[in-house]
Amino acid sequence: MAAVSPSQRATSQFLRRLRRSLPWYPFIIINAVIFVIFNLVPWISMFRYSVLKTDLLSTREFVGIEHFVTMLSDAKLHKAMLNTVWFTLMYIPLLVAVSLGVAVLVNRPLRGMKTFRALYFLPNITSVAVLALIFRRFLSPRPDGPINFLIGLVGIPPQRWLIDVNQAMPSIVGISLWEAFGYFMVIWLAGLQAIPSELYDAAKVDGANGWRLHRYVTIPLLRPTAAFIIVIATIGALQVFGSIFILTGGGPVNATTTVVYQIYSEAFNFGRFGYASALSILFFAIILIVALIQSRYLRFGEDVY
Amino acid sequence: MSVSETSSASVEKANPVRETIIYILMAAVAITTVGPFLIMLSVSLTQDIRFITFPIELIPSPVTLENFQTLFARTDALRWLFNSVYVAVISTLGGVITSSMAGFAFARGDFWGKNVIFVLFLGILIMPDTALIVPQFVVLSQLGLVNTYTALIGPWFASIFGTFLLRQAYLSIPRDYDDAATIDGANLWQSWWQVLMPQVVPAMATLAVLRFMGNWNSFFYPMIVTSQSDMRTLTVGLGTVARSGGDAGLDMAGAVIGFLPTLLVFVLMQRYIIRGISLSGVKG
Repeated sequence: MAAVSPSQRATSQFLRRLRRSLPWYPFIIINAVIFVIFNLVPWISMFRYSVLKTDLLSTREFVGIEHFVTMLSDAKLHKAMLNTVWFTLMYIPLLVAVSLGVAVLVNRPLRGMKTFRALYFLPNITSVAVLALIFRRFLSPRPDGPINFLIGLVGIPPQRWLIDVNQAMPSIVGISLWEAFGYFMVIWLAGLQAIPSELYDAAKVDGANGWRLHRYVTIPLLRPTAAFIIVIATIGALQVFGSIFILTGGGPVNATTTVVYQIYSEAFNFGRFGYASALSILFFAIILIVALIQSRYLRFGEDVY
Repeated sequence: MSVSETSSASVEKANPVRETIIYILMAAVAITTVGPFLIMLSVSLTQDIRFITFPIELIPSPVTLENFQTLFARTDALRWLFNSVYVAVISTLGGVITSSMAGFAFARGDFWGKNVIFVLFLGILIMPDTALIVPQFVVLSQLGLVNTYTALIGPWFASIFGTFLLRQAYLSIPRDYDDAATIDGANLWQSWWQVLMPQVVPAMATLAVLRFMGNWNSFFYPMIVTSQSDMRTLTVGLGTVARSGGDAGLDMAGAVIGFLPTLLVFVLMQRYIIRGISLSGVKG
């Protein structure tokens, strides 16, 4: 009997492999189709449209890299980038400080602690529309508006908040902070509770107490949690949109126009879908760079948390 | 890991003065988070209220449902509510089932392209979804899918995050179960549905809650893919109410309608939400 040739063996191995593979594909087919329609195709079309001038209706013209050249001198875009950086720089330190402070506050075996934690989480389960409905009223410029009344109690005169060029962005920061701190408190708590109590006992034996206990045990062991929170929160902050869209529409005088809002505006207010696609690529690149710089702290799958 | 009541950090002795100060601080923070919702509820039940002014009476007299009647009469709020429930339920069910299937395949499967597809999925997970919204609109408008439930539900019918979450859950089940099922003559679908899936129900419940809340609260994408009022979800519709500048009473009635469903889910499913965050730090 003739020996099986190598090519025949390869073919039969191929067939065996194929037969083993086939039953698995139905399990991932829906995921794959959704991925193609809602991610892969848009991803490709983003690059295709970035070299076109089109309103999706009548005009459609090839312009090459013109959009990317335009970006260099687009003052509104530069303002939007500065606003995004400004928002992030105000928001992240405040968020980290407030959420950590509250986490430390509620990380105690006191009665009713679970209820307090749940109450702090309440703003986070709320949609941005509800948030905006409430805070548009609370930040009313009227002297008897809720926030103006409250600051009046400590002698601060009424402010114009969302309709003031200098106060609109800090107001958005405040609202975002109010919404998010409970969520990050939960992550801090998980980090705090993962620290073994033996370490505190050992440090005490070595004579550490009070602040030094936190300085040499808590803070070093919370560093991974802190890094994780900063990465997640920064990527979230760069994408802030809903509250700005509803509350200020990017104003007053573009004071709250962020990069995402600018992309939205170019596409849906001005019908410049080509330029908006090019801006989306820019925005992708920005997020990617920020994420890469910070990514050595990120771990997927089996987390420390 | 769940967030437990006790803490390793607090080893201090009970001190009544200190404890009182802590309770006062905690109550102060609680007032800032709960206060606005109480005022929202109170104003929504107040007659003829154009502005919220302080000092405020928390219990209105008389208590009225007029604002809610006006809201339902003047806007499509009832339709938005229906749309939101419909979209969120289908999205959640679909997303959880497909994640369970794909998670199973990536945990147990041995098929061509497994690693390539897995890495591709990982890539999507890292990509910021706001950056893709304009291109998504472009594609959907070419497919004629703007203002359809297909567009609203589509991207939610699969979850990369969920696939990863469930893959981890399946990996923690010993292979003996698969072997036993195979020996008993079960095919892949039977061993998935009857033997392995029942063991990952807690992970699926966590995912379901995160997906439901995420979908219910999503704003940017559903706003972009709907232009007709009758196709909007509640969150998007309420966004238009907020921008239209009506009465405070009407606004707060809208806020209450938008808030109550998420509150209900939160109260019933709090455990799963907290676990989901502790597990991953990533929402829906």
